[in-house]
Amino acid sequence: MSKNRVSRRQFLSYTLTGVGGFMAAGMLMPMVRFAIDPVLQSHGGGDFVQTELKVTDITEEPVKVDFSFEQVDAWYKSDVTSVAWVYKSGDQIIALSPVCTHLGCMVDWGADSAHPDQFFCPCHAGRYEKNGKNIAGTPPTRPLDEYDIQEKDGYLMIGPTKANTLS
Amino acid sequence: MYFNASDVTAFMAQKDFIDTAIVPLVSIDLATEKMKQSGAEADFIMSLTSFIEKQFKGRLLVMPPFSYMPSLKYDDLPQQLEVQLHNAGFKHVFFITCDHFWTSGGDSVNMIWLPAIPLESMDVNVKKKILEDQLRQVIPLLSTKWAQI
Repeated sequence: MSKNRVSRRQFLSYTLTGVGGFMAAGMLMPMVRFAIDPVLQSHGGGDFVQTELKVTDITEEPVKVDFSFEQVDAWYKSDVTSVAWVYKSGDQIIALSPVCTHLGCMVDWGADSAHPDQFFCPCHAGRYEKNGKNIAGTPPTRPLDEYDIQEKDGYLMIGPTKANTLS
Repeated sequence: MYFNASDVTAFMAQKDFIDTAIVPLVSIDLATEKMKQSGAEADFIMSLTSFIEKQFKGRLLVMPPFSYMPSLKYDDLPQQLEVQLHNAGFKHVFFITCDHFWTSGGDSVNMIWLPAIPLESMDVNVKKKILEDQLRQVIPLLSTKWAQI
């Protein structure tokens, strides 16, 4: 028997304090977590989708970049693959939407041999300049949309579309 | 464009621009040994037509597939469909199918026959690549017809 024996009274009060502490923590932790939740929510990156294109590989020549994301339509989830035309203009990286503003076909870069430095829509011969500006006299009525972009770990991230800011 | 209310509204308003109909002809064969192949064909045709639709949305309307059982098909189905579609304002009508039966009909209609590629076991990227390759075969057929007017 050691000299400083724990008395029955002490033992009970330690145990009760311990158990009570756990119970209080069990109740308080979720409350605290709920209270500070808005602070912990992840910002940015949410709407951005990572592509397989390295930022350093982007050149002045527009290239087609595929990216896919999960789209939720009510209870139906599907993987949607989308495309962007990406190039560098000076130091700025530009990502243009390939959707023709006329009736929604996919435009192609340099597909028209008469106009190699323009985006071309095969459906009704709509044409756009490199910055997405629609060329007067062809069916499209407004410039190609532009994607918001970000860079993460050296890779290009593509976000939501916005109206063209370049032309 | 697809055959749904909003796309048909767009078609009605833009008949000059949306002048092509794509009609998938899908065979449904329920014989035990052919059922799987039939399913693969239907999957392939539907994947390919929606891929075509994505590329050429503004010029063509993809019809819901005309499906039939082998015993229920008759020789001049495409011809009759074509007449109806021409009357509805489509200048060009293309049929797309994996069924050899329709290739014997001669050149009276634009029949695009493609061998079914089983897509079920493929990775998404491979599938996309295959569909792109197939699309590249179809594009010249569409563009020669489009260039004729």
